[in-house]
Amino acid sequence: MSILLENVNKFFNTPPTQVLTDITCDIKLGEFVSLVGRSGSGKSTLLYIMSSLDTATSGSIKIAGDEISTFSQKKLHQFRNEHMGFVFQFHYLLPELTAEENILMPARKKGLHHKKRDYAHHLLEEFQIKHKFDRLPKQLSGGEQQRVSIARALIMEPSYLFTDEPTGNLDSANGEIVMTIFKKLNLEKKTTIVMVTHDPDFANIATRQIYLSDGKIT
Amino acid sequence: MIFLAFRQLVSRKRQTLLTLAGIILGTIAFIVISGIMLGFREFFIDQLVNNDAQVHITSKETIIDTPALSTFFFPKIEHVFWNTPPSTRKDHARIIYPAGWYKRLDNDPRIAAYSPQLKTQIILTHYGKAISGQLIGVVPSRQQHVTTIRNYVHGGKFTDIGAGSNRIILGQELLEKLGAHVTERIWISNGRSAPIPFKIVGSFQTGVSALDANTVFGSLSDAQHLNQTPGYVNEIAVRLKHIDQAKQVSEDWQKFGDEKVQSWDQANASFFNIFKIQDAIRYMMITCILMVAGFGIYNILNMVVTQKRKEIAILRSIGFEAKDIIFLFFIQGVVLGILGGLIGVLVGYGLCLYLSQVPFGGGPLGKGTGTLTVSFQPAIYIRAFTLSFIASIIASVLPARAAGYMTPIDIIRSES
Ligand SMILES: Nc1ncnc2c1ncn2[C@@H]1O[C@H](COP(=O)(O)OP(=O)(O)O)[C@@H](O)[C@H]1O
Ligand SMILES: [Mg+2]
Repeated sequence: MSILLENVNKFFNTPPTQVLTDITCDIKLGEFVSLVGRSGSGKSTLLYIMSSLDTATSGSIKIAGDEISTFSQKKLHQFRNEHMGFVFQFHYLLPELTAEENILMPARKKGLHHKKRDYAHHLLEEFQIKHKFDRLPKQLSGGEQQRVSIARALIMEPSYLFTDEPTGNLDSANGEIVMTIFKKLNLEKKTTIVMVTHDPDFANIATRQIYLSDGKIT
Repeated sequence: MIFLAFRQLVSRKRQTLLTLAGIILGTIAFIVISGIMLGFREFFIDQLVNNDAQVHITSKETIIDTPALSTFFFPKIEHVFWNTPPSTRKDHARIIYPAGWYKRLDNDPRIAAYSPQLKTQIILTHYGKAISGQLIGVVPSRQQHVTTIRNYVHGGKFTDIGAGSNRIILGQELLEKLGAHVTERIWISNGRSAPIPFKIVGSFQTGVSALDANTVFGSLSDAQHLNQTPGYVNEIAVRLKHIDQAKQVSEDWQKFGDEKVQSWDQANASFFNIFKIQDAIRYMMITCILMVAGFGIYNILNMVVTQKRKEIAILRSIGFEAKDIIFLFFIQGVVLGILGGLIGVLVGYGLCLYLSQVPFGGGPLGKGTGTLTVSFQPAIYIRAFTLSFIASIIASVLPARAAGYMTPIDIIRSES
């Protein structure tokens, strides 16, 4: 169930720029990998390509041996729903829904939102925001919002968690909390985590670091 | 997704209510305008159909012109020059062989009733006041079955005109203009003979000014006597079993004899043109109103889609497909359409109920009760709902599709 990238290139037409050049890497099951590099080096682009949100200009991306580009839209979305969790710099919570309802959105896609309720509350408890389950996002602090969005990413118990600067918007205390959650998740649930960050301390928590410079792995 | 759609609708109450208001107003406007217009039309057609016969068989006014006279008097001469070119018409227009028509009418299963008439222009005189009018000589028992006239008679029964000689019933307006009263005697002349006294045994008010101000009903024999044309009939008024057959019947009979056969809708063709124009205006107005409402939905949904880019991105990344996103926004438009349409239909119905009870000062619009006639045809309500529903769907499709086209990565990239 590893992610295998071979000779991946990414080219943007407007303006014409080669963002990723000949990327080959292997992310093994249960690894906690951090993607580091300067701003504009292509970290986010690489993360989105390996997580199927974006497509490569050329090269191959295999997840558990299957070429991603051959997936139908339906299968791709189903795969994301069942096996992938995303945490971004911004929480992207739906403002109309309570914390609990937000967390259960991925489960709702498959009609599992009743079954998954207990697990949602378990996650909320683990993240120390159990009593805030029925609050709207705007009634939560930035750190709490991010924890809710992590819970949403984890509700389907995915094999992979992709996260782009998850602490970018948080103070250091909340950043620590988030990193603790990830570390524990990787240790206890063996979830494969790929994290983009430019904080060296947080990058060090990962079991492996991939350095990007001008779209190349160094 | 329906769950989320409802949440989104509820959470932006103001926009939702405004959009709803637009649809509701459009629907109400359609219902009320249609109700009044069609109500007026129903009333009007009712008047046309029931106050008058559904098919008229009339004698033709034959004009005798110069060529006709030339060939009659000088059949051998090719060119006839007249000092004063003659032109006249036959002195009495009449149905030449009414008995033939009676037989035909008696044997036609489509006929409910018919009434031979003699219509003639008269001058009514009452204490020095002279007014012209039209005398319709009828056989009261027959006439009663052809039109609804007896429902409009005051002061007596319609059949009273046959209860003795020289009895008449006048239109209310005519009666007032003459300053005469029921039971009084007035003088009637056909313009060529000495006036004859008639007793007023009643008056009628149909609401159709042309009738009420002009018409006098008398018995057929009295009219023939006054006109000095015994046995003459110049019109046969016919009532059918089914009104929709009027046109067919008149076309069938056109083939017989010299008489002109005209159905009520042919006789009133100009009104039907007015109705067509009314319909065109009505639909144009409604289209405008619904377009405004539709633009409201379109605008708001478009705005919402733009505002919700981030959420669209996250929904896609947690496994919701493009079609789920389209559905999310489309269903909001549909809900607004259904809700707005339903409320509009209910309020529109209420308003129509209210309007139908508002006193409406007499005149040609006033019914017996003196209130506005409002149509409650189910078709109006079905149409109103369908139109607002379709407008909402069209207005929601475009923003919803635009939302479906958004890819998560473009949105997330543009955010950071
Ligand atoms: N849609 C795009 N079109 C053109 N250039 C882009 C686009 N998205 C990103 N880039 C460029 O690609 C490079 C890498 O971007 P990104 O992967 O976001 O870097 P990082 O996350 O490491 O800061 C940047 O120079 C950026 O300007
Ligand atoms: Mg980035």
